[in-house]
Amino acid sequence: MTTPVLEIRNLHARIEEREILKGVNLVIPPGEVHAIMGRNGSGKSTLSYVLAGREDYEVTEGEILLNGENILEMEPDERAAAGLFLAFQYPIEIPGVSTMTFLKAAMNAQRKARGESELSTPDFMRAVKEAGAQLKVDSDMLKRPLNVGFSGGEKKRAEIMQMALLKPSLAVLDETDSGLDIDALQVVSKGVNALRDGKRSMLVITHYQRLLNHIVPDVVHVFADGRIVESGDKDLALKLEAEGYANYGGEAA
Amino acid sequence: MRQAYPVRLGPAEQTLIDQLKAAGADQAAERLSVAGLPTRRFESYHYTDLKTLLRSVPPLGAPANQVDVPALSLPGAFNLTLVNGVASQQGEAPEGVIVGTAHGGVLTTRDDAIVHINSGLVRESLSLSLDSTLDQIVQIAHRIEGEAAHVADAIKVFVADGATATIVETFSGSDAAHVGNHAMYMALGKGAVVTHVTIDLSARATSHFATNEYHLADGARLRTLVIHLGAGLARTHLFPHMGGADAHADVTGLNLVSDGQHADITMETHHAVPHTSSQPLFKSIARGRSKAIVQGKLVVARDAQKTDAKFMHQGLMLSDEAEILSKPELEIYADDVVCGHGSTCGQLDDDSLFYLLSRGIPKAEAETMLVRGFIAELLDPVDDEGLNSALQGIIDGWLLGGK
Repeated sequence: MTTPVLEIRNLHARIEEREILKGVNLVIPPGEVHAIMGRNGSGKSTLSYVLAGREDYEVTEGEILLNGENILEMEPDERAAAGLFLAFQYPIEIPGVSTMTFLKAAMNAQRKARGESELSTPDFMRAVKEAGAQLKVDSDMLKRPLNVGFSGGEKKRAEIMQMALLKPSLAVLDETDSGLDIDALQVVSKGVNALRDGKRSMLVITHYQRLLNHIVPDVVHVFADGRIVESGDKDLALKLEAEGYANYGGEAA
Repeated sequence: MRQAYPVRLGPAEQTLIDQLKAAGADQAAERLSVAGLPTRRFESYHYTDLKTLLRSVPPLGAPANQVDVPALSLPGAFNLTLVNGVASQQGEAPEGVIVGTAHGGVLTTRDDAIVHINSGLVRESLSLSLDSTLDQIVQIAHRIEGEAAHVADAIKVFVADGATATIVETFSGSDAAHVGNHAMYMALGKGAVVTHVTIDLSARATSHFATNEYHLADGARLRTLVIHLGAGLARTHLFPHMGGADAHADVTGLNLVSDGQHADITMETHHAVPHTSSQPLFKSIARGRSKAIVQGKLVVARDAQKTDAKFMHQGLMLSDEAEILSKPELEIYADDVVCGHGSTCGQLDDDSLFYLLSRGIPKAEAETMLVRGFIAELLDPVDDEGLNSALQGIIDGWLLGGK
């Protein structure tokens, strides 16, 4: 049996005294796209932060295996170098750091962590230009400080561009559709779909079904009260869209 | 009722009084013996109590003739040095630059101990006249050499109407408990465009004082950048005088302090005539047990309508023991102006740090990127590429070196 790209076993996590993840189990084999749907406050975004290693959350129980390796003890940068990428729901604006400088630092840091040599400037420029063209990120945007003054669509395109450059084995997309109009959604989805290569796995976290028309998942999971309560194929998303989350307990959002 | 209490004079004040008397500056000596060095009760020295901080003053520096490599390597710059107060120039002055000397100090008399001491002690000042647009940077390297010495020097710069210049001053010297008291008076003619960068790279044992006075005529544009990172005690006092319509000054500065350091930038900008603007922007980064201070006062004269001025100080604390102090003041006598002030202070942003980490950038590198980003607003406007990268190099050295 092939090693899953991501395996989460009985994951419990809390922030301060409040338990948010209450026993998450999830297996994503190579090349598969899984969607997690759930109402606001169900713990979906927490799952993405815990995967990426945000300090504010304390994992109290369980395991996260990335390509068979337990990543819970790793720092966020080590997880990234091990192949994890989180596309943020709200990408952070960083004044004074140009997007170009940032991209180069990120790509080279990951290469260094994996024992590879640094990219030459021409190779870097070529890679950025290629990825940029597909996601409509022009050189003007690249010169600007990271995410500063970017529109919602520009921020999300820049996130996916980073993903294209960093080539993770697991991409976690947290509410990538939020703040996007139809056109931007298509550009972003196209960018994401171009990165589906039969090996790379994805975890798409979303509140609405509409994103899943564009990024069609292999498996849909319903998230409620800190765990996965139902799993099915892409039709489950349509059912949710029609019926809402009311069947999964708790109060309506 | 005001009563003059006799001031108890310490050893630093005694030495200064003797030095002033020996220099024939009886008035300054008298003033100092009556008032003493300023304490925190003196508003502009509120956070830099000289009576407490300046324990002793070394003997006046003897002329030294050491010509060192400039503290900053700026290819193609026209280099002048002031070694223990004695001026010399390296190479021929570029066309349009006249270098000379003048008797006495350069600063306008004002109620300030450091100014009195400088004017009392400086016998000969360096004068520079810049008559046209200069492509070459003028670099003035102040050095205090030898045993611990008290050195006062002064420079007067005239920038002709329509001229453009970049002037860089560095302050450095031997590793001793020097006291440097440096003065700069700069007059910008109509439409003159000047960038003036001063960098304190003195040894930690040194106390560094600088007073910079600027007079701007119609349409003149000034950008200043004061960088403190060397001396254990550093204070730069800035006095921009906006004296001509449409004059604009970007008065900027950066305190970089590590454990045991105390750095203070105090600015008092006078908007004297209508239609002038200034944008004072200061940043402080403090680590270890250190103190960084920025005081900014905007004075708007009664006639100076349509003044547009906004003071800003942003502090970044890299340790729990660091102190960053901010004091904005507005003194506005006109009624049709846009003036303001702002001040922020905090640590590196957790969200930003996590974002960079999540892309694989290790923590130390991510922190350095964020600090560089914090400073970029001050460095980016320095257009000259060689100067910009030299400054970036100095700041990187500070960021990556020590605590």
